[in-house]
Amino acid sequence: MVKYSYLRKRSDSLLNKSLIEDTLTAALSTGGDFAEIFVEDRTNNGIVMIGGKVESTVSGRDYGVGIRIFKGFNSVYAYTNKSDRETLIDTAKKAAKALTGKNLNLTINLTKADVKNINPIRIDPSGVEKTKKVQVMKKAYDTAFNYDELITQVTVSYTDYTQNIMVANSEGLWKEDTRVRSRLGISSVASKNGEMQSGFFGPGASRGYEFFEDLDIDYYAKEASRIALTMVNAKYSPGGRMPVIIDNGFGGVIFHEACGHGLEATSVAKGLSVFAGKIGQQIASPLVTAIDDGSIPNQWGSYTIDDEGTQSQRNVLIDKGILKGYMVDKLNGRRMNMDVTGSSRRQSYRFPPTSRMSNTFIDKGNLTPEEIIANTERGLYARYMGGGSVNPSTGEFNFAVMEGYIIEKGKIKEPVRGATLIGKGTEVLNKIDMVGNNLDQGQGMCGSVSGSIPANVGQPMIRVSELTVGGREGGL
Amino acid sequence: MDVKSLIDKIFQKGREKGLSDMEVYYASGTSLSLKVFQKDLDTYNLSESEGLSLRGTYKGKMGYSYTEKADEASIEQLVRDVKENATITDSEDEEVIFEGSKEYKRVNNFNPDLSEIGEEEKIEFVKELEEEAFKADERIASVQACVYGDGMGEIVLSNTKGLFLEDKSNIAYTYISVVAKEGEDIKTGLAYRTGNDFSKFKAKEIAREAVEEALALLGASPVKSGDYKVIIRNSAAADLLEAFTGIFSAEAVQKNLSLLKGKLNEKIASSVFTLVDDPYMEGGLASRSFDGEGVACKYKKVVDKGVLKTYLHNLKTAKKDGVETTGNAGKGSYKSSIGISPSNFYVEKGERDLNQMMADIDKGILITELQGLHSGLNSISGDFSLAALGFLIEGGKISRPVDQITVAGNYFEMLKDIEETGSDLKFGLPGGAYIGSPSLRIKKLSIAGE
Repeated sequence: MVKYSYLRKRSDSLLNKSLIEDTLTAALSTGGDFAEIFVEDRTNNGIVMIGGKVESTVSGRDYGVGIRIFKGFNSVYAYTNKSDRETLIDTAKKAAKALTGKNLNLTINLTKADVKNINPIRIDPSGVEKTKKVQVMKKAYDTAFNYDELITQVTVSYTDYTQNIMVANSEGLWKEDTRVRSRLGISSVASKNGEMQSGFFGPGASRGYEFFEDLDIDYYAKEASRIALTMVNAKYSPGGRMPVIIDNGFGGVIFHEACGHGLEATSVAKGLSVFAGKIGQQIASPLVTAIDDGSIPNQWGSYTIDDEGTQSQRNVLIDKGILKGYMVDKLNGRRMNMDVTGSSRRQSYRFPPTSRMSNTFIDKGNLTPEEIIANTERGLYARYMGGGSVNPSTGEFNFAVMEGYIIEKGKIKEPVRGATLIGKGTEVLNKIDMVGNNLDQGQGMCGSVSGSIPANVGQPMIRVSELTVGGREGGL
Repeated sequence: MDVKSLIDKIFQKGREKGLSDMEVYYASGTSLSLKVFQKDLDTYNLSESEGLSLRGTYKGKMGYSYTEKADEASIEQLVRDVKENATITDSEDEEVIFEGSKEYKRVNNFNPDLSEIGEEEKIEFVKELEEEAFKADERIASVQACVYGDGMGEIVLSNTKGLFLEDKSNIAYTYISVVAKEGEDIKTGLAYRTGNDFSKFKAKEIAREAVEEALALLGASPVKSGDYKVIIRNSAAADLLEAFTGIFSAEAVQKNLSLLKGKLNEKIASSVFTLVDDPYMEGGLASRSFDGEGVACKYKKVVDKGVLKTYLHNLKTAKKDGVETTGNAGKGSYKSSIGISPSNFYVEKGERDLNQMMADIDKGILITELQGLHSGLNSISGDFSLAALGFLIEGGKISRPVDQITVAGNYFEMLKDIEETGSDLKFGLPGGAYIGSPSLRIKKLSIAGE
C-alpha cells in the first residue's frame, strides 16, 4: 500500500494563468459583469458485490470545464470536456453571445490563494489495490449474510473518488481544492413466506482509504441485516395522525426535507419558498436550533471551499425557533442582497452551482431518549428513516420510515413496516415538542437543481406532537 | 483524432496489454437549455461533451473503465483499469462481447427540422409560455420554473468482433411549474412536453394545463383514513410503474431480488393488465434498433392478460436461464456497466375514458400525483406508502380536491386488483426508458389522512 501525506494533484490539467485570464476576458466580451471558470478532474472507483461475488467494477475519469457569466441577475453557463486554448476561448465566446451589451473592460488580476484542506487524508484510495477494497466488501457481506438464516441476499457497494477542482473568477479569485470521499453501502434482504424486506446502511466520510480501515464494518453489516429481519417479521403500520418520535442520525432527514430545502437561496431568492421574507420571525418551536456546517473536518458533506471558491463555514439557520439566515450562493445573493455563505455546490462541471446543504442538523437538547419515549402515551417510533422529498413552494414533504415501532404507554412495542410521514414544513417545525441529547449524523445523497451531492443530515431524538402517518392499517 | 482511429488506438493498446475481446462505447452530444423568470431570460446553458468507455475481457472476466479525456495518458489508464477491474471480478455469470445480430431494423430518432429552429424562436416560445400562465388566471402567484431545452446525441458501439453500430438522436423538452395562491392556500401545477417536433409545442395549451392542475387543487383537504376504491390517473400510474420496473429484470430475478422469481407463465396480474416493451413504437422516445450490447431489439409482451410471459434479458442473464436475450441490455451512459432496461414500456390501454371510469364509483379517490417515489416504496417487497394529491369521487364524479394523504399498498397485490385500464395512455418524462400507462382503477387501497 502506498501512503501519501499530500495528495498528488494533476495541476497540469487544471489550466495555466494566461489561459484562465484569456477565457474570462472572452466571456466578458459582451457586457457580462462577472465571469467564472471551473475545472474538474475526478477519478471514480465503484465496485458492486452481490451474493459475495464481485459483480461489476467501474472506474473512470471525469474531466470538464464550466464557464459561467453573470449580467445583473441573469446567468449563462457552458461546459465542455476539452481544455485546449481554442475550445475554451470558443466556448466562452459562444456563451457570451447569449448576452448583449457593451464590454465593461473589467481588469482581471488573478492571485492564486493557498487553500488549507480541512479534510486531511491519510491514505490516497487511488494508491490502494482493489483486492484490498474487495476484502473490505467481503467482510461486510459475510457478516451481513451470516446474521440470520432468513437473510437471503446481500448487496455491498464500494465507492471512492478523488475530485480535483480549480475555480477562478474575474474578481481575481483563483483556488484549487481536492476532495476525497469514501463510502460503503450494505443492503440486506430477508425473506419469509414469499415476502421480502430490506435493510440498508451506508456510512461515508470525506476521508481516504483509512475510513474503511477504521470503520466498524461488523456493526453496520449487522444493523442492515437486523433491520431487514425485523421488518420481515413486522406487521403493517397503522395510518392516521399521531405523535411521532424520530431517532437520531439519519432521522435528521426530516429537517432536511421539511425545512432545509426551503432555506436554500435557490428557492428563497425568487420568493418561491414558504420561508422567504421571514428572517427574524419565529418559524419553529423554541426547542429547535438548526445549523448547516460544511466546515466540520472529514464529514461526508464537508468541503474546504465551495464550488465558487468560498471557504465553507458554520451557518446558524434557526436559533431557538427564530429564522436567522439562509444558505446563499453568489447569483441568488445578488437578487437577495445578501452575502454568500459558502454553500454553493454542484454534482460536477455539468451543472452550474447553486446554494445547497452540506451537513445539516438540529442541535442537541436536554432530554434523554429514555425520557422522551417514557413520556409518550402512544405513537410511532421511527428508529431509522429512509429518504424523502419536498415541494419548497407548498412546503409539503414526505419521507419513508425504514424501521418503525408502535409506542404504547411509554414503551416501545411491536415493529411496523411501510410507514410514511407526510406534512408541511411550517407546521412540523412548530410541533417539535421534545428534543433529545443524543445528536448524531447520517450520510445521504441529496438531489436537486445542481445535481446529486453528498450531504449529511443529523439530529438528536425528537418528538413531533402530531404528524400524518401513512400506513395500511387503521388508526392507533 | 476522429472516433474510428481513436477506437483503433484503444484496441491496439488493449491487445498489447493482454486484453482479448474489447468494446468501446462512445457518446457525444450538444445541449441547450433556456429558463425564463419574470419575462427575463435568466438562465442560458449550453454544452458540448463526449466520453467513452472500454470494456474488455481479461482471463475470461469482464472489466470496465471510462474517460472524458481522450489523451495518451488517459488511454493508458483506461486499459490498465479494465485489466485490474477484470481481475477482481469473480461473478460466475459469463459476460461476452457480441458479434452482431443478423439484421437491424432502422429507427429514426433524428429530426433534422429541430436543428433548423433558431434560438430566437426558442426564446420567444419559452417567454410566451410564462406569459400565458400568468394570463390564464389571476390566482397564479408565480412561475417556479419555465424551461425549454433541446439536445443532440450520437453513440458509437464498436468491438473487436467486428461490430460497428451508430445511432443519432435529438430531442426537445419543455416544462412549466406554476404556483397558485388563494388566501393562505398554495398549490403547484406542472405540465411538460417532450419529442423532437418543435411545432407540437403549443405555449398556451401547455401553460393552461399547468394552471388548471394547480387551480383544481386549491381548497384541498385530507379525507378520513380508510380503504377506498382508487383510480390512479395515467401519469401517476406511469410513475409508479417506472419505480417498479426493476422487478421485471432477469438480473433481479436471478439474484433473488425480485418476487417475480419462479412466476413465468403464471398469472401475476388481473386479466385487464397487458405490459408491452416496444422498441419500435411510433413516437416512442426510447426507440432503438440495438441495445447496450449491440443486440437487435424486439417487440414483446412482458405480461399478457395478466400472465407473466418473459423477464427482460441481456446476453448474460439469457445465457444463465438458457433462453434468448430479449434485447434489453441497458447502458445508461458510458459511465455504467451493462445492466437491464426496457425501451418504450407501457400498459396497454382499455376502452373507457377517465370520466366513464369514475361514473360507477359511489365513493373513491382519484390520485393525480404520487410523491416520494424514490423513498416511499420498496421494489423488493412491493410495499409502497406514498404522499398523494388528487380528488374525492362521490356519486360517480369529482366532488372536491384532496391533499395531505398517503396511499399505501403492495404493488404485487395491486396488479391483481386492477379492475379496469383507461383509454388515456400517457407517457412520463423519458430517461433510459420511456414508460407509459393509462389510468388504472384499483379495487382497494389504504388511504391515511385525518
